[in-house]
Amino acid sequence: MRRAWAVFAVCLWAGLASAQGVSLPNNITRTQLENGVVLILSEKHDVPLIGMQATLRGGAVTDPAGKAGLSSLLGELFEKGAGDRGAAEFAEAIDAVGGALSASVDLESISVSGEFLARDAGLMVELLADMLQRPALDRDELTRLRDRRIDLIRAAKDGDPRRLMPTYGSAFLFGEHPYGNAVNGDESSLANISHRDVLGYYEDFVGADRLIISVVGDFDAAVMAESLSAALSEWRPAAVALPELTAPVPETGRRVLLVDKPGATQSYFWIGNIGVAADYAQRAELDVANTLFGGRFTSLLMDELRTRAGLTYDARSSLARPSLPGSVAIVSSTETGSTVAAIDLALSLLTKIRAEGFADDMILSGKNYILGQFPPKLETASQLAGQLARLEALGLDASYINDYGDAVASADGEAIRSVIDTVYPVVDDLVFAIIGDAEIIRDDVAKYGPITELAITEPRFRP
Amino acid sequence: MALFAELRRRNVLKVAFLYVVASWLAVWFVDAIRPNVDLPGWTDAFVYALLAAGFPVALWFAWTYEITASGLKKAVEVDQTQSIVYKTGQKLNAAVAVFLVLGVLAVFGQRLLPTFEFLVPAPLEGDPPISSRTPAEIRSLVLDNGLKIIVWPDHDIPNVVMYNFVRAGGRNEYPGITGLSHFFEHMMFLGTSNRAPGEFDTEMEAAGGANNAYTSSDLTVYMDWFPRSALEVIFDLEADRGENLAFMPKVINSERAVVQAERRSGLDNNNFGKLHEQLRATAFIAHPYQFPVIGWPSDIAAWSEEQLRNHYTTYYAPNNRTVVFVGDVTAEEIFDLAEEYFAPIPAQTPPPRVLTEEPEQLGERRILVQAAAQTPLLQMAFHAASAADPQTLHMSLLLNILTGGDSSRLYRLFVEEQGVALSIGAYQDEGFDPGLVVFYLALPPDGNPDAVAGAVLKQLQRVADEGVSDAELAKARNILVADYWRGLATIDGKARAIGQFEVFHGSYERLFDVPAAVAGVTNEELRSVAASVFRRNNMTMGVLQAPATPEDES
Repeated sequence: MRRAWAVFAVCLWAGLASAQGVSLPNNITRTQLENGVVLILSEKHDVPLIGMQATLRGGAVTDPAGKAGLSSLLGELFEKGAGDRGAAEFAEAIDAVGGALSASVDLESISVSGEFLARDAGLMVELLADMLQRPALDRDELTRLRDRRIDLIRAAKDGDPRRLMPTYGSAFLFGEHPYGNAVNGDESSLANISHRDVLGYYEDFVGADRLIISVVGDFDAAVMAESLSAALSEWRPAAVALPELTAPVPETGRRVLLVDKPGATQSYFWIGNIGVAADYAQRAELDVANTLFGGRFTSLLMDELRTRAGLTYDARSSLARPSLPGSVAIVSSTETGSTVAAIDLALSLLTKIRAEGFADDMILSGKNYILGQFPPKLETASQLAGQLARLEALGLDASYINDYGDAVASADGEAIRSVIDTVYPVVDDLVFAIIGDAEIIRDDVAKYGPITELAITEPRFRP
Repeated sequence: MALFAELRRRNVLKVAFLYVVASWLAVWFVDAIRPNVDLPGWTDAFVYALLAAGFPVALWFAWTYEITASGLKKAVEVDQTQSIVYKTGQKLNAAVAVFLVLGVLAVFGQRLLPTFEFLVPAPLEGDPPISSRTPAEIRSLVLDNGLKIIVWPDHDIPNVVMYNFVRAGGRNEYPGITGLSHFFEHMMFLGTSNRAPGEFDTEMEAAGGANNAYTSSDLTVYMDWFPRSALEVIFDLEADRGENLAFMPKVINSERAVVQAERRSGLDNNNFGKLHEQLRATAFIAHPYQFPVIGWPSDIAAWSEEQLRNHYTTYYAPNNRTVVFVGDVTAEEIFDLAEEYFAPIPAQTPPPRVLTEEPEQLGERRILVQAAAQTPLLQMAFHAASAADPQTLHMSLLLNILTGGDSSRLYRLFVEEQGVALSIGAYQDEGFDPGLVVFYLALPPDGNPDAVAGAVLKQLQRVADEGVSDAELAKARNILVADYWRGLATIDGKARAIGQFEVFHGSYERLFDVPAAVAGVTNEELRSVAASVFRRNNMTMGVLQAPATPEDES
């Protein structure tokens, strides 16, 4: 594989830009049931499949203090039996028809995604309705799930550290702010979660007023609307209001988290600060800038760290853009002996783009890249369903996609310069998270700021 | 005024109005079908000219002739007492009204109406599919230099994907050059006699395209994803690196460091990869499938420029490649571009065949890898079949029943019920030569790899003895068919699927036999493949765990 980072890139909303001539389908209908459930439907008949996403606003930011991972455990428990079906029967019902139905959790939502053959639309609605309204939430299932989750985190720490980098980085950057919650929890917070916590959370934070369902694919919209509303119109609302979060603000100065992985032959680094939110007005300019800085193969970070210096296999800049400002970060890895060389080079590139911006021909190239790579991101029913649910959850309308191509095309150099100046931190104000062999790199990385050290085997992601 | 009255009497004015309304509809219609039909550029001019020329003719006709009870007659010859011009006028009024209503409905209702697909029968270039199951729009063409091009037009989005399958991988290597095929995948981006290192990517991304590539034991595969507008840029770039690759020592050495870094990430600092590499190296004693695709570190550091040049000449020859295009293109334009850009690349002597066959395994093999680990890993490999062997489809169904999803047998038993594993998965190689079926498990920190391996083997032997239930078989069939459709939901998935079938099954058309083949698999076939593969003597078992005591490390 030539560039594993591409896999990361496609996961980021940052890449989900519209393009000129590309827009959301024009047959989308949005209705709201009396209990608050929002239904978004769009027919698409190219293959006999239906893509569905049910999003419950809330997510990991609603996890109680010390119990990070609670919402994500609940999401996984949704799959372990509902309605008249036990865990095994529920899984059997999905697999028997070749369907897919699974829950995932992020900072601000629990989402159930499904993909079924068109002929199984009725079953899909039945299973979804059961999952949300009549989950078994079995005590033994929870215990097994929780204990396995704890061990899986240990297994992940034995695996490729690149997967854990953003978790350590965000935990250290955001600290006690809910955006610092490890979405899947950590070994110690998971151990604190009881069956009673899960039942309480389900009553308090899950309900019709939080639910958005989007379905795209090979069905009759009138029939689908009828079937969903019949299945969900009686559901109760959540008992507790969603918490009002304070917006994180960029911090000044530097600090370093050093995660010790003895024997590691590479160092992995995440260097960031607070960035912007999903509704950031100059999203187009920022996407052009980030594409050029670290969002594609010929980006400045890749070109300098990998192509010219041979210091790394992948280097990128990532933007997390939830409803309030998220993180902006440089992420890469390098051989243990070149840790400082790679980090210094990355920091010098940050200084460079803040001082110089990007040349006009590069800006044009970045725009073409964003516009050219967009259409495949809205190609399938499941992709569309996911996007529609996300827009609704964030309170954004279709123009977020439909007007975006023009915005990218008309982004000019000066506006991009000013966006870089606003969004990317100066090198004096950075939070570092580094995984590596502390014995070897501790003294060298001390120059970046005061070090907090944590063994990788510690059962949490921040001190 | 007499002339005006006569114009009115003879319905000339109504005809004129009707003509204008009808013309407007005609112009609108041409516009409306434009997105669906490939209209020549002169269509507009032609339609306008035709309508303009027709106007005086229609007026002259209306003036000169008159419809009577006994048919069409010259107006001057009609007995005015018998004239029915008034009735004709009413009919004309009705026609105008109908056309106007139609026009308004059509124009304002256009968005509400279904889009019409106009099928324009035109002779297509290239070989049409033979099997009736294969979509008729797919075309293939073999250039004189042996390069086969397959095109599947799909105009859903304004994008195109290209897959270039090179028949070169780990199986074409030997000690000293292990990892060369994978390294060459990197080389293909590092400059030609016409372009400096990096220009390939710079040009492609500036045109809106992106790319990636991967290497397996059997193939090196290059993918380009791009907007339709970049089509010719892609041909230019691909033809250039297909024929004019540069070999610059400084660049080669810098890229060795990148590959060493890739190796460190994927294997050295990743326990799964660390164990998996040793497992494959043990399961095969003769066949080159034993080599890690990324190569042994000493080989990565050592291979020579000459070896790289030989690899390029032999394996990247057009007669050793297959290229697939899927997306917003026509077969004709792809074949024309291929003739222009790819046909000049000369054919070469075909690469030497891989003759080594893995001998029958004579007894169970076990390996232990010691590494820092909080959780032990267990992997179990069995020799199985090649991609084209019908057994491979049977095994796909079987693996689905055993480890595919939350309702699968082994997942339920070991992960959910007994809790002796944190996760379990399985894959089978689908390559030119018989490969492996591998089960991989992560165990809890206090897990017992030997006991779990014994329990897994017992379950596998149970399938060999008893087969599976009819419900399990039906479920696996449904999952495979649903996966088949999911795979064909994107232009990328389509290109990958037809390319894989062309390369490994001898024809892309076999892809479209999959649903029928899946439906035809019997329980006895599953039992039989389990019995032939899941034997203790055919197994290599690998365990990774932390050393029990510090002394063990020495």
